Amino acid sequence: MAFTSLNFLVLIALLVVLTQCFVTPLGRSIVLCLASAAFIASYVSTPVQLIPLAAFLLFCYGLVRSVQARPSRRSLALSIALVVASFIYLKKFSFLDGVGTLPFPYLVIGLSYILFRVIHILVDACQGGLPAKIGPLSFFNYTSNVLSFVSGPIQRFQDFAERSTAQLVLDEDKVFAAFSRVITGFIKLAIVSAIADYFFASLSARLLGTVSIGSWASAVALYAFAASAYTVYLYYNFSGYMDIVIGVSWLIGLDLPENFNRPFSSRNFLEFWSRWHMTLSDWFKLYVFNPLLKAMTMRVESPALQTYLGVIAFFVTFLIMGMWHGTTSVFLVYGLLLGAGASANKLWQISMTRRLGKQRYKALAANALHAWLCTGLTFAYFALALTCFWTDMPQLLSLIHLLGVGGFVAALLAMAVVVGVTLMGTHAAASWLAPRVEGWGKATSGLIARNLLMGTRVLAIAVVASFFHKAPEFVYRAF
Amino acid sequence: MIMSNANMRTVFKQFGLLLISVAGLYAIVLAVTLMLVPRQEVTNGLDTAQAANTLYFTEPKYVFLARSALNTPSDKIIMLGASNVVVGFKQAQVQKMVPSAQVHNLGVGGSNMTQIREVIDLVQEVQSPQARQHNTFVIGIWYGLFADDAVRWNTPDRHAGDTDIDIERYRYGFFRRGASGPVEVLPARYLDTGTTLIHPYLVIDGWTRDMTSVLRQHLSGKTKVITDAQRNAVVLTEDEKQRYLDFWADYMGHRPLSEQQFAVLRDLVSTIVANGGHVILVDLPLPAWHAQRSSYSAQYQQHKQQLFAELAHEPNVRTVEMRSNESSDENFSDEVHPKPRVTQAWAQELVSALNAQHSNTQTLTQDTLQQSAKPVE
Repeated sequence: MAFTSLNFLVLIALLVVLTQCFVTPLGRSIVLCLASAAFIASYVSTPVQLIPLAAFLLFCYGLVRSVQARPSRRSLALSIALVVASFIYLKKFSFLDGVGTLPFPYLVIGLSYILFRVIHILVDACQGGLPAKIGPLSFFNYTSNVLSFVSGPIQRFQDFAERSTAQLVLDEDKVFAAFSRVITGFIKLAIVSAIADYFFASLSARLLGTVSIGSWASAVALYAFAASAYTVYLYYNFSGYMDIVIGVSWLIGLDLPENFNRPFSSRNFLEFWSRWHMTLSDWFKLYVFNPLLKAMTMRVESPALQTYLGVIAFFVTFLIMGMWHGTTSVFLVYGLLLGAGASANKLWQISMTRRLGKQRYKALAANALHAWLCTGLTFAYFALALTCFWTDMPQLLSLIHLLGVGGFVAALLAMAVVVGVTLMGTHAAASWLAPRVEGWGKATSGLIARNLLMGTRVLAIAVVASFFHKAPEFVYRAF
Repeated sequence: MIMSNANMRTVFKQFGLLLISVAGLYAIVLAVTLMLVPRQEVTNGLDTAQAANTLYFTEPKYVFLARSALNTPSDKIIMLGASNVVVGFKQAQVQKMVPSAQVHNLGVGGSNMTQIREVIDLVQEVQSPQARQHNTFVIGIWYGLFADDAVRWNTPDRHAGDTDIDIERYRYGFFRRGASGPVEVLPARYLDTGTTLIHPYLVIDGWTRDMTSVLRQHLSGKTKVITDAQRNAVVLTEDEKQRYLDFWADYMGHRPLSEQQFAVLRDLVSTIVANGGHVILVDLPLPAWHAQRSSYSAQYQQHKQQLFAELAHEPNVRTVEMRSNESSDENFSDEVHPKPRVTQAWAQELVSALNAQHSNTQTLTQDTLQQSAKPVE
């Protein structure tokens, strides 16, 4: 079920309305369960295709109950190993080509996020961090919630349980804010991401096509534009989807956590990941980076070396995070690029602090031109890494052959400068404009004015959507 | 059940306010766009070559939204095919030679037989049974029309299997996607009302296309539109010829011509004839170098000869092989499209076939004279 389809709109409308009809915690849970089941069922043509997912959920639930009943580090480690192994088997990773797979097609969408949520529950259950025993309905709703089944956000179980039982009270402002958030999501998805996708599709078709592009410089420029367009497309597509589900979650009382915080204003790669897909980054920090760093710190006694343990921990964490995105070899390259970016960022911070001292390094970081160029470079590096999302291995190799390492470096620098200068200009224009439009917010906050503005946004979505042959797919569902 | 009336009321109130705002704003935008850019009535024959000069802008949208002009009690010659029909059979040139009938060119670039079938369906959908009897469909055929659906309509920017016509059917909600293809939402008799209601979309689409034309040209990497004089002067290099051959091999999916597409052609001929209409199948020429070097051209000739032999005795069907001297290389501006200077000759050859068809059957004119006195349903 596509998020831009009429079916999805009808489903979330029913979810919202029925939730108001059955406002007791049990009533709301049943409504959410039915909506989630209907949503998941929309992805399959026969019930058989759901069996592996259902079995995976049942298996995970059994493990959670078992760890809750007898919490120990051993049972936790074994449970996590079993869950990860089942996940890897069901996802059909390409390195498992020799291993037999199930002899029928089945649904794999949502498995990744179920895995993240289950590991979180297992760890917290072992540490006694869960409020009470988890019932099957609560477990299903938490792991397979219609709003976050495909790509998150990853809500903590404790927050989910608290929100599910809290009284649902909606006032006019909250409902308006929820509608507005959903419409903002559709604007991002159906307008901005669709336009960026149009640019990307046109440019990448030329770049990866068989027709000669011309000079090396033209190829580099084409690549830089295509990579930038894809990055913009991915961000607005993903954050648009988040706006939609977060807006709907306000109407059903679940209040899903935020997942993006202006990531393209980040001044370095590590800051970027604290603003991009925040709930996933937090999960990796909590369940991969921290335990890994702790384990290494306990084994390395030299204080000089301990400074660099973070570099290694970042590399490993980002390598795993990158590889998790897909099942083919190109995602190993993506993981290596993410790992290299994160660890190089950490190394740079360490070496600059050593060379300049904390105060001078801080002063350098605060310099406006330096800050904007770093912002541009962060965008450019991420865009370069994302090339792995829109190419397969043979295409990536032919691109490397076409551009050479020099071509990628030239494209990286060009993107960094152009994006940095553009963002600097945009920021300056916004700062100049802000005091001049201060009164506008008050003037448009009345009941009629704010609804007319929202109506205008809906019309804009309807008109721009008609320009395209089909609504953009939700791109992150593939991961 | 414990119903939260207060929550429900708040949600419904907000939904209602949004709905009223959208409806009110749309009514204003509709009125303003109708005043600024009034609807264009089709007074002459339909001509997809002129689509870019209308609010519909593209050939498929033009065919889909302007077709109600075809529900008339007079004789109509409706030319169908791909871009070589649009470019080769100029509506105005053919019309001049056939003053007794209304000539329409509904060719759509990139068509295969499935899409031509859809255009015929769209035409007949807006016509009364009597109006259908006055149709003479001229279908310009060549091997490119027999590309398999699975290859032709499978690009990343569309739902797999959607033709360009399907996309227009769905675009404004006049049709919805059904399990076995498009399902009508807006009955064809309300097409004009629907087209008026979507006027703001068409106007804004047109403005956007105008504003972004240079950008889109750069993005696609396509060369600028060339003039008739430049087209007449084109001489292809050997490299260009090879690129065209490679392009068509990719376009056809490197697989044999689709038998199913020939079945579609046979079926649509039967449907037109069953409705009392006439069909003229015109085998369009290719430059000699293309015909000789493409394996598809040879396959096509075999299929075509068999098909033409089958249809030889159909009373309302005529087959024409345009092979006078138009296939010499210098008459083409690329691998399929005739140069502007030869379109007059193409028109003459077509009109000769039309005259022959009329004189053979006679019934068309006589029926027309008798039926034109009756009101069209």
